[in-house]
Amino acid sequence: MKKHHFTWGGLYLALVFVILYAPILYLMIFSFSAGKTMEKYHGFSFQHYVDLFADGRMITIVINTLIVALLASLIATIIGTMGALVIKDSRGTWRNSLLSLNNVLMVSPDVIIGASFLIFFTVLGIRLGFMSVLLSHIAFCIPIVVLMVLPKLNELSPTLVDAAYDLGASRWQALSRVVLPAIAPGIFAGYFMALTYSLDDFAVTFFVTGNGFSTLSVEIYSRARQGINLEINALSTLMFIVSLLLVIGYYFISKHSGRRNRIVAVKEGDAQ
Amino acid sequence: MRQKVLFTIPYALWILLFVIAPLVLIFYQSFFNIDGQATLGNYATYLTSRVYLKMTLNSVWYAFLITLVTLVISYPTAYVLNRLPNKQFWLLLVILPTWINLLLKTYAFIGLFSQTGTINQFLRFVGLGSHQLLFTDASFMFVAAYIEIPFMVLPIFNSLAEINPSLINASKDLGASQWQAFTKVVWPLSLPGVKAGIQAVFIPSLSLFMITRLIGGNRVITLGTAIEEHFLTTQNWGMGSTIGVILILAMFIVMFVTGEGRQKGGHRG
Amino acid sequence: MSNNIMEFRHVSQQFGDNVVLRDIDFEVEAGKFYTLLGPSGSGKTTILRLIAGFDQPTSGEIYFDGHQINDVPANRRQVNTVFQDYALFPHMNVAENVAFGLQIKGVKKSEIDQRVKEALHLVQLDGYGQREITAMSGGQRQRVAIARAIVNRPKLLLLDEALSALDHKLRVEMQTELRQLQRRLGITFIFVTHDQEEALAMSDQIMIINDGTIQQSGTPVDIYDEPLNHFVADFIGESNIVPGVMKADYLVTIDGQDFECVDAGMRPNERVEVVIRPEDLDITTVDQGKLTVTVDTQLFRGVDYQITAHDQRDHEWRINSIHKTTVGAKVGLAFDPEDIHVMRYNESEEDFDARLDSYEEDD
Repeated sequence: MKKHHFTWGGLYLALVFVILYAPILYLMIFSFSAGKTMEKYHGFSFQHYVDLFADGRMITIVINTLIVALLASLIATIIGTMGALVIKDSRGTWRNSLLSLNNVLMVSPDVIIGASFLIFFTVLGIRLGFMSVLLSHIAFCIPIVVLMVLPKLNELSPTLVDAAYDLGASRWQALSRVVLPAIAPGIFAGYFMALTYSLDDFAVTFFVTGNGFSTLSVEIYSRARQGINLEINALSTLMFIVSLLLVIGYYFISKHSGRRNRIVAVKEGDAQ
Repeated sequence: MRQKVLFTIPYALWILLFVIAPLVLIFYQSFFNIDGQATLGNYATYLTSRVYLKMTLNSVWYAFLITLVTLVISYPTAYVLNRLPNKQFWLLLVILPTWINLLLKTYAFIGLFSQTGTINQFLRFVGLGSHQLLFTDASFMFVAAYIEIPFMVLPIFNSLAEINPSLINASKDLGASQWQAFTKVVWPLSLPGVKAGIQAVFIPSLSLFMITRLIGGNRVITLGTAIEEHFLTTQNWGMGSTIGVILILAMFIVMFVTGEGRQKGGHRG
Repeated sequence: MSNNIMEFRHVSQQFGDNVVLRDIDFEVEAGKFYTLLGPSGSGKTTILRLIAGFDQPTSGEIYFDGHQINDVPANRRQVNTVFQDYALFPHMNVAENVAFGLQIKGVKKSEIDQRVKEALHLVQLDGYGQREITAMSGGQRQRVAIARAIVNRPKLLLLDEALSALDHKLRVEMQTELRQLQRRLGITFIFVTHDQEEALAMSDQIMIINDGTIQQSGTPVDIYDEPLNHFVADFIGESNIVPGVMKADYLVTIDGQDFECVDAGMRPNERVEVVIRPEDLDITTVDQGKLTVTVDTQLFRGVDYQITAHDQRDHEWRINSIHKTTVGAKVGLAFDPEDIHVMRYNESEEDFDARLDSYEEDD
């Protein structure tokens, strides 16, 4: 938005951005307040950060959350990429059924996923805790990966694989040296999306976690119900900075890989 | 061939264990009462109880309002965004807040809306006096809409970005005014995005329970809240599953009405 | 014949109920430039895919260098393909693309570098090795695709509509270059196209495919001058095709009017089709012409005028003439006996060749 060129649209957008960012900035500002509540700013202080790092329970939970997220999205990326390859190879009604089944967990409300997984784990006798949370996160991350990878696969010219065979590649070589590198941006985006879904999840984890195991969302939920605690603000600020760095990193990586990958679009463009 | 089988097994297992089995189980569970006896009682209770029916209607009504508010805010946002230079960057800024943990954002609103919070301080300062903001319908809807906005903006933005600009020029060339070009060309062509957005917002809104608890203060009871309560508080899984089945039905209806959209549905409580 | 590098014997291909190739037989001589020419959906690309090994035939045998190769997968055939959309690997640069096949075969790094350099030189892309594919123009990508194929020194190079994505000027340039490249390398080329001009310009041998069968094969000149049937005559170049009756050897009747011709070997009074190429018709005065027509339209095309006209029986005639005429005028059409080509209905390629041999020996 250029300052010298006022438009109502620009003003509207500015307002939307203020609303979107106000709560986040609000949290961050009070994380540096010396006071104990979010009512009045009491002067600059790192006290809440000191408290946060001294809070062993909170640190454990943050680590738990990260382990679950990293592990779940990694496994989901592997299975999801395989799934996308399977769907890509399928035809007709079979393909449509696979796609519909794939999307069930995408469109299901979290409470349904949480409740049905809870029944599932209970029936199987899986103890509620790290394992059940990890399995659930893998489960709801898989379709995200499939949806990110599949369009990249569809963009690939079918002759690309033929070309690899033609040049002597085996099926495995065609996959590992041509298909996977060519869809790498999609796989990467899938992993990234899975990571954020996992980090962000509250409801599913809330249902399937047991006594000994908690993730950040669940912990904040229980603490927030007890009232304001500025340690959480400090945590939010740190998490926001980490997210920001991740997004910037992602932005640059996808921009870079986008350059190499654009040929798929360009290729169709010059066929006139 | 071996490679194909190798790839199919994990994905097929996932579909079987984590897609089909849980759905079958929740359906199966809905025919059992709290003592583990097979019964149709849960459905009978649901269909005859004024409390449950009212709750369902309530839930649908709130979800509708949240979706409407989100749409009204998001469409112009997506429209203006789409006309900016560097629009991808601005879009990223809209999406960025979704990377912040949902609980943290909700938590921020508790502070903002509380009796002694910033908003009330501001209201007192301009002489409007302080008001009960937290635990009201309005605050519940505001926070829900706040959280959903990016999920509505994104599909609408995408469908607007896909519209070939020469179509708008063509309509103007054929005599359409700015407004006519919008209503007759832009709006119809952006409908798929709007539908995808509605789908991405309405279904999660039906099942919100975290926001109802923290911001709505249990004044608003949704299908999601009821399921959570039956499963985790009263331990009546049968009744919880019954409401779950109802919710799944509602979901299918919404998907049918808004057509096949494949936008991200959203994992939000 | 030991000089045949490739042979199809009674090859049929069927996808479900859809018959794509019907009992195809042909031989490919080593070192020549072949073109498979046909409209889209004729089955020409299917033949190419069978040669490359992407598909297996429903029935029949495919021989390569004297060996039956029906079950040899694509990655173990000494055949390389230049794809219609080039199929360049988007995540590799030019040199990496060209080196791919050699790397797969486990060729030494130093040899790979040398051969990639040579291949890029052959397609006039010296120094482009480190470029990204996205930074290359359509014509350059075409060259990369060719380099990627020939670097493997295949015995047979397949080109699937390889020039159709290029604009006209570039396409004509590449035609010449491809032809030169083929001569220099001595590799057998099989080129698939739907563009008859391209086929005529480049090939040693053309095979015309339609509806899953080979309609006619031969040198470009043979096919142009002596098309076997209506389809070929219509598909290759522009033609006037009118029904006629073969009164006797070297005499054909069109609409009751007799014309001298150079065809023979038909039954007396056999119904035939007569082909006269538009450029073989000369416009002259009514009394000097063999036919009288009325001019309907005239288009200036740079090198000549394309004229359409009709005779008394409403047959339409197309004439390509370097001289201008007047729309609506009655003019005469002159042509020589050699300009007339007579085609029998449903004549097979063998019968056609045999008949041609029979009376040409007499001369």
